[in-house]
Order: sequence, then structure tokens, then C-alpha cells
Amino acid sequence: MSIRRRRFIQGSAAVGGSLVLGVNLTGCGPTPLPHAASADLQPNAFLQLSPDGQITLQLHKSEMGQGTYTGMATMAAEELNMPPNMLYIEQAQFHPDFIDPDFYVMLTGGSSSIRTSFEPLRKAAASLAYLLRSAAAEQAGVDIATVMLRDGNVYIGDLEVKPASLIDRARQQELPEEVPLKAARDYRFIGKHNARLDARAKVTGQADFGLDAQYPGALSAVLVRCPHFGGSLKSFDASAALSSPGVEQVLEVDGAVAVLAGNYWQARQAANKISVEWNKGPLAGVSSRALRAQRHELAKTEEGKQVEEVGEASAAVGERFEAFYDVPLLAHATMEPMNALAVASDDGIEIWSGMQGVQLALDAVERATGIERSRIRLHNHFLGGGFGRRIQNDYVVEAARIAQLSGKPVRLVWSREDDTRHDFYRPNSTALMAATIDGDSVSSVQIKAVAPSIFGQFLPVMTRSLLPSWLPSGVHDGIGSMAAGSDPAATEGLIHTPYNFAYKRSNYVMQDVSAPLGYWRSVGHSQNAFFMEGFIDELAHQTNKNPLDFRLANMDPESRHFAVLSKAAELADWGNPPAGQYQGLAVHESFGSVVAEVVNVSADGGRIRVHKVTCVVDCGQVINPDIVVGQMQSGINFGLTAALKGEITLEDGAVQQSNFHDYQLLRINESPEIDVHILPSTNPPSGVGEPGTPPVAPALANAIFAATGQRLRELPLRLS
Amino acid sequence: MTSLAFTLNGKAVELDVDPSTPLLWVIRDELAMTGTKFGCGMGLCGACTVHLNGNPIRSCSFPVQGAVGQAITTIEGLVDEQGGLHPVQEAWIEHNVPQCGYCQSGQIMSAVALLESNPQPSDADIDAAMSGNICRCGTYSKIRAAIHAAAAGVQHYDPQANKAEVAS
Repeated sequence: MSIRRRRFIQGSAAVGGSLVLGVNLTGCGPTPLPHAASADLQPNAFLQLSPDGQITLQLHKSEMGQGTYTGMATMAAEELNMPPNMLYIEQAQFHPDFIDPDFYVMLTGGSSSIRTSFEPLRKAAASLAYLLRSAAAEQAGVDIATVMLRDGNVYIGDLEVKPASLIDRARQQELPEEVPLKAARDYRFIGKHNARLDARAKVTGQADFGLDAQYPGALSAVLVRCPHFGGSLKSFDASAALSSPGVEQVLEVDGAVAVLAGNYWQARQAANKISVEWNKGPLAGVSSRALRAQRHELAKTEEGKQVEEVGEASAAVGERFEAFYDVPLLAHATMEPMNALAVASDDGIEIWSGMQGVQLALDAVERATGIERSRIRLHNHFLGGGFGRRIQNDYVVEAARIAQLSGKPVRLVWSREDDTRHDFYRPNSTALMAATIDGDSVSSVQIKAVAPSIFGQFLPVMTRSLLPSWLPSGVHDGIGSMAAGSDPAATEGLIHTPYNFAYKRSNYVMQDVSAPLGYWRSVGHSQNAFFMEGFIDELAHQTNKNPLDFRLANMDPESRHFAVLSKAAELADWGNPPAGQYQGLAVHESFGSVVAEVVNVSADGGRIRVHKVTCVVDCGQVINPDIVVGQMQSGINFGLTAALKGEITLEDGAVQQSNFHDYQLLRINESPEIDVHILPSTNPPSGVGEPGTPPVAPALANAIFAATGQRLRELPLRLS
Repeated sequence: MTSLAFTLNGKAVELDVDPSTPLLWVIRDELAMTGTKFGCGMGLCGACTVHLNGNPIRSCSFPVQGAVGQAITTIEGLVDEQGGLHPVQEAWIEHNVPQCGYCQSGQIMSAVALLESNPQPSDADIDAAMSGNICRCGTYSKIRAAIHAAAAGVQHYDPQANKAEVAS
């Protein structure tokens, strides 16, 4: 195969990073604060106190189930010394203060929300609290030390003062250089608050997802896209569609065909009547099978880029043992299909959707429509699942373009089939895992990971948000190509492992033919934990050791890995499963957290049944314990779906799966009992949304080996 | 277009719509009630679950003509006139069940129907009744716990009472 990897996101004009919304306010610093009213007290972008006494928190991280809505409110409320449910929470517009320090753009991903907001958000809230206390102290002529904030009021001794009455005076107060934060021992809510603030809206049908946005007279739009990645529109005949009930318009939009109708059903029915001819494009003839074979060949013939080397190669003595591990492409399959509502007018364009990357969406819409960003208004919503899918903004751009070209307000709704076939997939990946075994000990582990690069595809999107607008488009693509060969996501989890073998080396070989790729819950860890912890289990058996003892013997007894794994083994009663059940385990660090999981399975009659997963997590300071438990359960079920079911395949450069009958997700009758234990920690918070996912596939594969003697090295796991 | 009439959450509804239109799109697009969700369009995920005379149906693949003269209940209809929640909704909140929340309207409608027919379901009963509802966030452990918790205190709402107002 000689096809070059094609970039699927293209833009003609690059744009700069900082932006000013078309709202102008007085006294708010260089960049106006979002959603501001001049009568409000707004010490920073995160919080505002209105004259009616309401304190509003700008939710700068998308809520997609992982709990930012509650977590952010809890952190802010702690410093305001009031219950989190007293805050009014608003989805934030873009503001430079909301840029994530990990990504350099305003983005929700990488399990970073709580971790990167822990300091700045508490400081923002402490600043508001300080200004109010200082104003009250000045008004009463007392020392600020005698003034406190509690449950929404300011108290000077027993005297109660309403915060809203202090707004004017608070504006005149000076903040100290370092606003003091509460000591952990004084926390009332952090680590203790267990309710979800969005639960009531979500059990009554009132939660506002992107698909629920309303606009008077909005038409429903569906888009017929080329099924072959990178292909293009040759011709289409819409005559039958145009006479279909309710249809208002059929138009070509950037190589796809849009159908606009009174409701979704009418639009979908009409779209089914369009006959289209496509050019198959650069992936014509490409299949998953061939790509897998190519990766195996590359592993044998290419050295790739060395990503890690620990110790001396000469220490790799003994007999060589090696095995290939493989995983397929995976779709995100959020329950809410992609959608966006867009309204174009002479004033610009206004869009309602659920997005993980509001800033990237602004950039993408500006590039695609030519409408300057000061005239683009984006409204974020609850996300009906994200898992990394909604970092990409293809659906937002599509809606913007349909609205722009048709001149009509439109709600673009993807079908499940669209969603399955036009995702940005978890990369199909291979690892050649090798070790040298010297007597009864392992002297080296040497890994070659072969995968296409997410980074190479996504970096040009990022740099368009980060670099000056005058840079030509080729520069961004060039940066992507340069970075692709050393994509950190391809080897994360294979390097910096806790195992102290005498020699460790990891190389990455990039496969340059690929479907569109994206960030899929836990990203590279999703496959690399399976590769690493499956192979470690093999090495334990190769050296006749208990898989638990082998791991513990090869890691630092003072490490978090050691503590987490030991606790998991203890809680799962490792070595003593119920009759007919077998156990496997794995431990993996990702996004700053360490998680160990023990899986109990049975395999009667060739049917794999997962009975129980015992999970121990060290994620630093916990904000909301029950959300951590929920995220571990969630990550485990997500990982079990990938381990037991998930597989997207390509034929002729097109995805063969379409809906939940052929891309199945775990259901309640297949979901095990999940026992989660959180290790106490005084470290700052680390990731929670993703780290539960990586260990479960290898723990399950290892349990299946214990049950059947079959070593399964490819996902989804299938008994022979 | 044909004029169709049915009862929705106790109120009479009459509208002109193609009778083959799935009930889901009548509810969402024609009536702008958004608590009922679109997930798959094939009855595979349960996000669109509503009640027809108290029985759970997948509204994404149920033509609206099947609802004529019948009582339809959506998630919005579980809340009583004083704004009080159904015990299943209360149990869902108590157990922090929702994550992204998108599937939960459908989950709750299935759970309410289960408890109506089987007030003390076993885990196996829950598996059987709830396996048509996918939750991509994997909230299944909490769903199970919330159903058991609600089992003790579920009060009955009477979907048949809605029929009194059905326009013919």
C-alpha cells in the first residue's frame, strides 16, 4: 500500500488564539467576561454575584457524565463556604481564563478538568469571598478577621449582611497577592459531598442536551455523506427526495448532500430516496484485515522511533520470548448522536450544540464559513456522552455550513448509522511484545508499537487555534506530519511502567494509512494497558510465578502501584475465587491516577461471563466520592464493551458496522458487580473519568487464561 | 396528512401528521417535548422508551397511528401536578444514577413499567426488563440499586386514568 495518510480536517485560513466576544463591558479587563452584566460583581471569569444575591458559576468544562458540573461547583462552594447547590451554574462561553493548561485551548478532555481547575477555581472563589469580607469589614469598621462568609451570607459576629448589598463597596477592595485557601482539614464539601447537582434535571427529562435546543421555525436537516473515508461526491439525483412529504430543500454542502424538512423523520425518509455516486478516494480497496497484516509486517521490518530506553541493552540476557497483540478501531457510540442547531443571519451565526472544545469549534466554524469569530455565538449544552468524540467539531461545522448555504435555521441530526460510520476512531494498533528470560527472572522487555497517529491528524486542528493567523495552512499540516512519528498517545502506558526490569525499550512505528482517528476514552492507554498487562501476565506464567507475586516482586514496594495492587488483591480475596470462577488482575497508571482491577470470570460452555470486578483507585484528593465510584464503574463497563464486543472494521475504506445490532454495547444483564475502593490520599486531585477503563481488558484476558488456558492477545476477546 | 388524536400525559392531543411517523418524532419535533430521547432509530437502545397504556414501547420505531385513542406517558408525565417526582425518579437521584443522563428518561420509563408489573423484582427480573436499555456511561450497578430501593416505595400512577380525556 502506498497511499499517504490523508488529512480529514481541512481549512483554508488559519486563525489566531485569543478572541474577544462581541460583548463589551466596562471595568472588566482586556477581555470581556462572559455572560456579564454591568451591575454584577465579577472578580474573575469564573464567578459573578448579581444584585439579586445569586452567585453564578461559569462552568468552563463540559459536563458529559464525568461530573464536572458537580465537581466545579463543589470546589467553588468550598471557598465560598456555602452548599454547592446554592450556586447557579451556567455553561461558559469562551474566555482566555478558561484555557486548559494541558492543552493550551479551552477543552474538556484528558481527565484534566478537576486536576487543572483545583487551584485556579478555588482561588477565584476565595477572591470573591475575600472581597465580600473585606467590604463588610470596611463598612462595619472592624477587622476582616472577624468577618466570615457562611451559607450565602456575610457575618460580622452575629450580624448578618446580604452579599448583594456589598457589591459596590466590594468593587473598591484590593485583593492580597495570595488569597488564602482553606486547609484540607477545614473542608465541608470537598471529599464529602456525594450528591450530583445535575441529577434532578436528568431524571425529569429537563436536562438540556444539544439535541433539545429549540429555535422558532427551525427545519430538521440530515446529511448524506460519502461512506468511503476521503472520498468525494461525483453526482446525485434528488428528484424523488424533493417531492417527498415535508421536504423544503436539498442542497450540496461541501461534498455531501443535505436534506431539509419539517421534521427529522421527513428529512430522513427523503434522504433515503436520493441516489448518489461517490468517488471512493484514497482508501479505496483498503480493509482492516490488510491494515492489520501491514502492521505485523511493519513490526518485523521497521525500527521506528525509540521512545524509551532504560538500562543497558547488554543486560537483556537469556531466552527471547515474544508475542503479537492487536486491537481494532473503535467508535465512541455516545448515546446522543452528533447534532447541532445553527441559525445564520446578517449578524453572523449562532449555534447550539454539545461540545468538548468550544474554542476549537469557534475556530473550525470561522474557517469553514468565513464568518469572523466576533460574529459567531456558540452555546454549549449537556453532552449526551463525550468520551473524546465531541473534541472534534465536524458536526458543528456541518450545521453551520448548512445554515449558511440554505439561509434557514436548521437542526442537523445524525442517525446512529451516521454516528457509527463517521466517527474519529480509536486507532487500530499492534504491539510486538518481547522479553528476555534468564532462568526464572525476566531481564528485559522490548516493545514495538505499530499504529496510525492521532496526533498527526489532530495537531493541525490544534495549531490553527494556537499559532498566528497569518501562517499558511501548509505549516499546520507540516507540524502534524512531523509530530505524527512521535505520537505520545501511541506509546503512553507502554513506557514509564512500574516494572524495574534490567533493560526496557519501547519503539513506535507509525502506520501511515488510516481512517480518521480521535481521542477515545483513555486514548493510548485503552490498548497499551491491554498489551502491557497481558504480556506481564504471560511473563509471570513463563517464569512460573503467581501473577500478583510476579508484579509486586518487580516493582518498588513504596510505589502507588504496589499499594493499589496489594489492596485490590486483598479486597478481591485473590487466589480464592468462588467455586467455578477464575481471577485475573491488572494495574495501570493513566492521567495521574493508578487503578488496579481484579476480574472474576467463568467460562462454562465457551461462554465468558464476568461476575465481579474489584477496583482500587488512587486519584489523589477526592472531590466527590460517589462520582469517583460512578466513574470507575463507568470506565469498567466501557472497557468491558471494548474487551468483549467492540470492533469497527473497514472494507473498501468504509466502515461496515452501522447500529447497535452490529456494534454492540454492554447491557445490564452482562454488567458485573463492581466493587470500588478509593485509597485515601493527600496528593492533589488526578484523573477520574478515564483511568478506570485501561486495566479491565487485560485483567479479563488474564482471568480467561486462568479459566481456560487460552491466552487471548487480540480484542475483542474470542475463545477458540 | 391525517388528523390523529391521543392522550399525552393526561392531556388530549390532536395533530395533522403522516400516520407512519414514529411517535418519537411526533413528540420531539411536532410537540417540542424533549425529555424522550433519540438514540438508534431501530428500537435497539431504549432511549426513546415511553408508555402506551402503561406498557413500555420504543417510540422511535412505533408509528404514531398506533397511539390513536391510546394513553401515552413520557418522562414529563411521571411528575405529578404539584411537581412531585415519581418514587423511581427519587430513587435515581438518591443513588446518583445519571452520568451524562441522556439514556435515563428511557431507563426510568422501563423501570417504572417493571415495578408496576412486578413490585419486588429480583436481579434476574431487572436484567430481563432492563436489558433493552443501553447506558453507554455504564450506570448499571446504580440502576440496579435504585430499582431495588424504589421497589419498597413505588406508588402507583394510573395510566388508564388518562384515557378519560382521550378525544376520539
